[in-house]
Amino acid sequence: MSAAWLLVPLYLVPLVSHNEVLLTILIFTYILGILAIGFNIVFGYAGQLTMFHGAAFGIGGYATFLILSKLGISFWLAMLPMFAVILLLSMLVGWVCFKFRLREFYFAVVTLAFAELIRLVVLNWNDVTNGTLGLLVLDKPTIWWPGRGLVKIDGTVPWYLLTLTVLCAVTVVSQLIVRSWIGRNFAAIRLNEELAQTLGINTFRYKMLAFTISNVFAALAGALFGFYSNYIEPAQLSITQSLDAIAMVLLGGMGSILGPVVGAFLLTGLPHVIEFSAELRAATYGAILILVILLMPRGVVGLFSRWRHVA
Amino acid sequence: MLLKVDGLSKRFGGLVAVSAISLQIEAGEIVGILGPNGSGKTTLLNLLAGLLAPSSGTILWQGRDISGTKPELIAALGIVKTFQNPQLFAELSVLEHVMIAGHLALKRLLGFARSKTIFAPKPARHELEARAERVLRLCRLSQGVDRPAAALSYGEEKMLGVAMAMMCEPKLLLLDEPASGLGQAEIVNLGSVLRDLREHGTTLCIIDHKVAFLAEFAPRLIALQNGSKIADASAQEVLGNESVITAYLGRQHAGA
Amino acid sequence: MTQVILGQVLNGIIVGTLYGIIALGVTLTFGITGIVNFALGQFMMIGAYAAWHLTDVVHLPYPLSVALAVLIAGLAGFLSDRALFQFTRNNLVNGLLVSIGLISVIESGALLLYTATPKNMDFVLSGSWTLGAITISRMKVVTFAVLLAVIALTWLALANTWLGRATRAYAQNPEAAMLMGVKTEMLQVGVSVYSCALAGIGGALYAGIYSLEPSMGALFILKGVEAAILAGVGNLAGALVGGIILGITESIGALFLPTAFRDAYGLVFLVAILLFRPSGLFGGQK
Repeated sequence: MSAAWLLVPLYLVPLVSHNEVLLTILIFTYILGILAIGFNIVFGYAGQLTMFHGAAFGIGGYATFLILSKLGISFWLAMLPMFAVILLLSMLVGWVCFKFRLREFYFAVVTLAFAELIRLVVLNWNDVTNGTLGLLVLDKPTIWWPGRGLVKIDGTVPWYLLTLTVLCAVTVVSQLIVRSWIGRNFAAIRLNEELAQTLGINTFRYKMLAFTISNVFAALAGALFGFYSNYIEPAQLSITQSLDAIAMVLLGGMGSILGPVVGAFLLTGLPHVIEFSAELRAATYGAILILVILLMPRGVVGLFSRWRHVA
Repeated sequence: MLLKVDGLSKRFGGLVAVSAISLQIEAGEIVGILGPNGSGKTTLLNLLAGLLAPSSGTILWQGRDISGTKPELIAALGIVKTFQNPQLFAELSVLEHVMIAGHLALKRLLGFARSKTIFAPKPARHELEARAERVLRLCRLSQGVDRPAAALSYGEEKMLGVAMAMMCEPKLLLLDEPASGLGQAEIVNLGSVLRDLREHGTTLCIIDHKVAFLAEFAPRLIALQNGSKIADASAQEVLGNESVITAYLGRQHAGA
Repeated sequence: MTQVILGQVLNGIIVGTLYGIIALGVTLTFGITGIVNFALGQFMMIGAYAAWHLTDVVHLPYPLSVALAVLIAGLAGFLSDRALFQFTRNNLVNGLLVSIGLISVIESGALLLYTATPKNMDFVLSGSWTLGAITISRMKVVTFAVLLAVIALTWLALANTWLGRATRAYAQNPEAAMLMGVKTEMLQVGVSVYSCALAGIGGALYAGIYSLEPSMGALFILKGVEAAILAGVGNLAGALVGGIILGITESIGALFLPTAFRDAYGLVFLVAILLFRPSGLFGGQK
């Protein structure tokens, strides 16, 4: 059964509720869910711990906006060159990491190093990125709606529908990949890389693929995030961004496609349920991460089900 | 000539595991390798399979130099190795193991077109599953294919390793002690698998300690000691060879 | 010009020693407990704030504050080991993630207790030494000397005492060490605590020179890990050298290239080294 069907009922939420807070939480859930699903593919399925997705997330926002402004093209068209940039970066960083057979820990550190480098560049390239001040994004994505022509996505409900639709698309794509021979190879690499090699699986290629997919999804999420929150800043590129995604995936559960989305929902909704000062929020994130690792290694979804799509 | 090894050596720091070994294997042959522990048998197989890079010497496969090539490329070229201690994918089922092992077969079947199978996985899956079924039946693993592989007995795990190797449709199958740890019935099963492979024309290279088992299947034996080849001839000759007996069975048996 | 460069190099060496002591903790922890404790930077911060608090608020003499700060950091290390890290032995990913969670918890604690306003210690050892046109503050030199002594003593202890040899034996071959009667669980706890104490002394001395902020932990662990990888994780003597090389690279880089990218120079250098020598400069066995 396609996991995307589970998302369909969510289209009814705006009809039932006009609660701005709830809808906003869900919008962020869907956006960050895309980021988390991407990370789940490279880490949960292929077993590679990377710290690059935070940078990809930020680049998604910056690149899309800058391309849109400089070239005067639409949001969706601007994403195409942005994806090209992400593909190039993924191939460069991935090549450095995988070609040199860096083992897991070194690999995490090198991706972190690259991510930090990118963040420093963005932080200091004031002419282009406005440094720490960030960029104000007032442009809106547009879509073609039958009968009304080009419509701007503005306001909570349109954004809700857009982000949910993109999440559905991402879910379908992820599922197709994971259930195909590609997903099987990811699992093989995660579980016993040497055995996978003796069976003829080119582990370098598949690790690169997983890494690239993760970054592409992260960038997509980053673009949506920047345009929805009308603001792009260097903090979106930080290690914290990567760690948030990791926490969501762990909390929700790595064994299913939608587990990360559940994790995204819980972590996004949490600050609204309990009033927190910024310090306490960080401490709670940390505590949750610790508790999940030690007590719930299969995440929330893992508590309820035995699903594990690996082959 | 399928495989030609020339002066192959492997050093680990000061330890010489394999020392200037040269041999040739023709297509369709079955060659047994014997020797005491530490004689370099597994290292030799690891070198052939690309899991280790040689310190010196060459390996020619169908005329092409493959020394130092990565294991996945060597597998694609047709050389597949099983492991002495069964290597598995923890938490996956028996069927999933052979499906993963069907990667090369799928590639050969469809080439780039296999990308289309992402959208329509059923037909390709059927084809793979048919092959998997046959292989599993041969290896007597057809019962409970959805069982986690971890639930298998030791003997079954080893047979799963052979099944996975068979899915790769190898031209040369390197078996590292396939019979060790197997019970009598399982050895009989292994025997029928080897006979089937032989009928298919797969070239086999088998390491084992059970000399009787080896001699039954391998008309030709290679004996190793301390990383060097000390005999390479028909089974009868090698088993009658004094240095082999000394090396393998100990001085007391020499001349017996 | 050479004076300026020399001055920068000296500064780099001193900062590098701080990196080195964290790197030593990282290497020890990895070798014996099989994880990288990313929270070591936080234990450095604990040592720093404890030293500051004891000196400036409780008005104890600085050397005593340092000693107590080390004990506090060690105690905190013991608690976190019992509560958390004993469950993540040899599980690199889990250990990493748990330590990252711990970072948030400890850093938030520091923010709540001390706020983000930088704290400066009233001058402990004022004055400086001059050599030609180079001036180095006395405190920096003392810090360097003390850290060097601690690292040297650690290295000597590992080479010559029974405990030290047992530790090295365990790092090489855990099963053999166990069979020879080494109490591995106690060893692991001990190393865990010792690494935190090392970070603590680094922090306590750091407090005497620089201003303190809760974010210092994150910065130093990154540098410590870089230094450890640069030297080759597993190489204990190399940890200090790695730290110093890193410190010098950053100082020289900041001198000739934009200062804003100071942190980047070390990273670039590290990635470059890893490409040519995947096991680090000194190729650790582990």
